[in-house]
Amino acid sequence: MNWFNFFPLIMVVTLVIMGLYVVLFKKNLIKMIMGIAIIQNGANLFLVSLAYREGYVAPIWTSAPATDMVLPTPHALTLTSIVIGVATTALMLSFVIMLKKHYGSINSDDARRCRE
Amino acid sequence: MNVDLLLQSPVFILGIPLLFAFLTPLADKVSKELRNAVFIIGLLLTALFVSLMAYEVYTIGSWTYVFGAEDPTAITDVSFFRITFLADGFAVLATLTIIITAVGVGIYSFGNMKDFDDLGKFYTLFLLTLAGVMGMVLTSDLFNLFVWFEVTSIASCGLIAYHNERGESVEAALKYMIISVIAGLLLLFSIGFFYGEYGVLNYFLIRDSMDGAFIDILAIGLVMVILSMKASSVPMHMWAPDAYSEAPDSITPFIAITSLGSLFVLFRLIFFVFRGAVEPSSIGNLLIILGVLSMFVGVSMALKQSDVKRLIAYLSVSQIGYMMMAVGVGFATLGTADYGAFGVNAVEGGFFHMINDGVYKALLFLSVGGIIYAADTRDLNRLGGLAHSMPFTTFFFIIGGLSIAGIPPLSGFSSKLLIYKSVYLYNPVLAIIALVVSIVTLALIGKIFFNAFLGPDQKIGMKIPRSMILSMGVLTVIIVIFSLFPNYVVSEIIAPAIEALGVAV
Amino acid sequence: MNVKMSVVVRTVADIMVVPIVVFGIYLILHGHLTPGGGFQGGAVVASSTALLIVAHGAMKDNKTDLSNMESTGLTLFFLLAMVGLIMGFSLFYNSLAGTGGIFGGTVSGINPGYINTGGTIPLMNIVVGMEVIAALSLILWMMAKRSGSLEVEK
Repeated sequence: MNWFNFFPLIMVVTLVIMGLYVVLFKKNLIKMIMGIAIIQNGANLFLVSLAYREGYVAPIWTSAPATDMVLPTPHALTLTSIVIGVATTALMLSFVIMLKKHYGSINSDDARRCRE
Repeated sequence: MNVDLLLQSPVFILGIPLLFAFLTPLADKVSKELRNAVFIIGLLLTALFVSLMAYEVYTIGSWTYVFGAEDPTAITDVSFFRITFLADGFAVLATLTIIITAVGVGIYSFGNMKDFDDLGKFYTLFLLTLAGVMGMVLTSDLFNLFVWFEVTSIASCGLIAYHNERGESVEAALKYMIISVIAGLLLLFSIGFFYGEYGVLNYFLIRDSMDGAFIDILAIGLVMVILSMKASSVPMHMWAPDAYSEAPDSITPFIAITSLGSLFVLFRLIFFVFRGAVEPSSIGNLLIILGVLSMFVGVSMALKQSDVKRLIAYLSVSQIGYMMMAVGVGFATLGTADYGAFGVNAVEGGFFHMINDGVYKALLFLSVGGIIYAADTRDLNRLGGLAHSMPFTTFFFIIGGLSIAGIPPLSGFSSKLLIYKSVYLYNPVLAIIALVVSIVTLALIGKIFFNAFLGPDQKIGMKIPRSMILSMGVLTVIIVIFSLFPNYVVSEIIAPAIEALGVAV
Repeated sequence: MNVKMSVVVRTVADIMVVPIVVFGIYLILHGHLTPGGGFQGGAVVASSTALLIVAHGAMKDNKTDLSNMESTGLTLFFLLAMVGLIMGFSLFYNSLAGTGGIFGGTVSGINPGYINTGGTIPLMNIVVGMEVIAALSLILWMMAKRSGSLEVEK
């Protein structure tokens, strides 16, 4: 067992912990959104590293070598997750822009008017 | 070859809202009337296909719909590597619950939102949310579930922030968005666990290959946390009161329906997929704990609210607790003799309460929306005397309020009675808690009623539009039907759903 | 607020837009053969919008056109998915594959990459590309406008 095989998974854990730290402890809303993006990248890396099989090639038929191909489900899932990530990040950033207009601040301590 | 249109109905339930969501902005460029017509046609067509699917399921039985296949109903070797939809009794129960509220809310928003411009986006988001929830409850593939989960999150956040001239709406939407995006990522991780373990994502294949290893338990735990968060169960309920109270009045019940949709998905997963791989009592007890917490915390937080929409939002959190507790009791007794004795009744009560809850909660939120429309305030201390000028809304509020409090003979009573009876046999304390929560709920409904409707006439000149009355009337009729024929509902709608999950006695 | 960049940046941006758009369209059209497709190609094309917004700090008010393009793309995507359904198969069934016409060529196994294959998939890539170009440009445009770094020409 080569420790190098676990390298992607170690990176996934690192990214997720970094992202969670930012989301939980940073007060700046933009930084929180960046933290979410970091977790998202961790999730994508996790899925991509799951799909890896040694000696298999990517499932592209154009001029492919005649060897076995990996199942592209995790790649499709990663791609979907990236697309969704774009949409959610854009939406959250728009909310922050609007919040800045209304409250004059992007600090999460100031965004507490809903609470009674 | 030609496939029966009825067998294609699940895809239309998903597709019609999607297609009409994309058509609405185009129609909006032509005229407002056309846009409204497109929207309502989309909703009614969806309702039509829901009833067609129900008819087909109840006459010929359930089937699996395979996307992209030559024959959508034939199961081959590759079927489960495609996207599949599962049309069975449980899907009928879920889609029925969703579409009743959606049609009510759709009609209501014609009157309620008529003073706002740029409604093309509003209707688009509405139909997208509908498509998302429908996809969540119909799909039988984890990958697909993730997609619809995120579609629902994004579209419903857009709806919550629709009044973006108010900072509070944006704030509530941002909170909900951050929570649901992180939930979506955790769902992605649990999907990754399942894929890494078994290399499959379809419910059927996962069910058949699950062996209850540690990684399974981790993934199941993640899925349960995520879906109960979406279902606004305590302790993950903090987004719900904000989102419910800051969303546009006509949309609030629809946000609540996305919660119910997630609860349906949770029950589908634990009963249909995870049942074989886990100790039933562990998941069952977890659900019972979450349910009791939700009931208790929801109703006690509601006590101190003076904002009428926030109050009902907390009541709705406590109603979610009833369903989780009842279904948890059913799940905990699975595989023992107790299940036949009372467990199946608990599940019946839980499911019946879900469809009831969808309807009466919508009615309550909509009648409160009528109050806010007329009186232009949400503060219970400033409301008063509305019964003089709004007799219809008063009547609708009484029906909805008595139903949520479980007063006979209304529909809420029938489902709660089933829950009390069965839960009492499992553990009497649970039944007592449920009863106490019901009594406090009744007191809170009384508080709203006295504060908002009774008292001297305040001479409010504002007339609420006819479409709002109409939609509340429709929902009231449905509640009355459920109240008059609870046995029929249980035997014709709930029992097939339980059978579809494979846990019928 | 003067948000224009220097003349060097603006000229280079204007020149670079051409290869970026061409590469995006290449990605869209080869979506069924190689990694890429509607979303990726559309995102590449939309990045040229970002380049132009940053360089010039101004853009014509074409919100209506973009949002029309977005809705049209999505509607067409769904109608393409419905083609199989109307012909009696299930939704998303690739009913144009192997029928001969445009994108209807047959192919099997490892091949040098014939673009005239794939049935409805390349068509769907094209409409998705259309939608993504419009949607991402619209998002960039709205955000730049809201944050005050864009002058809108009527």
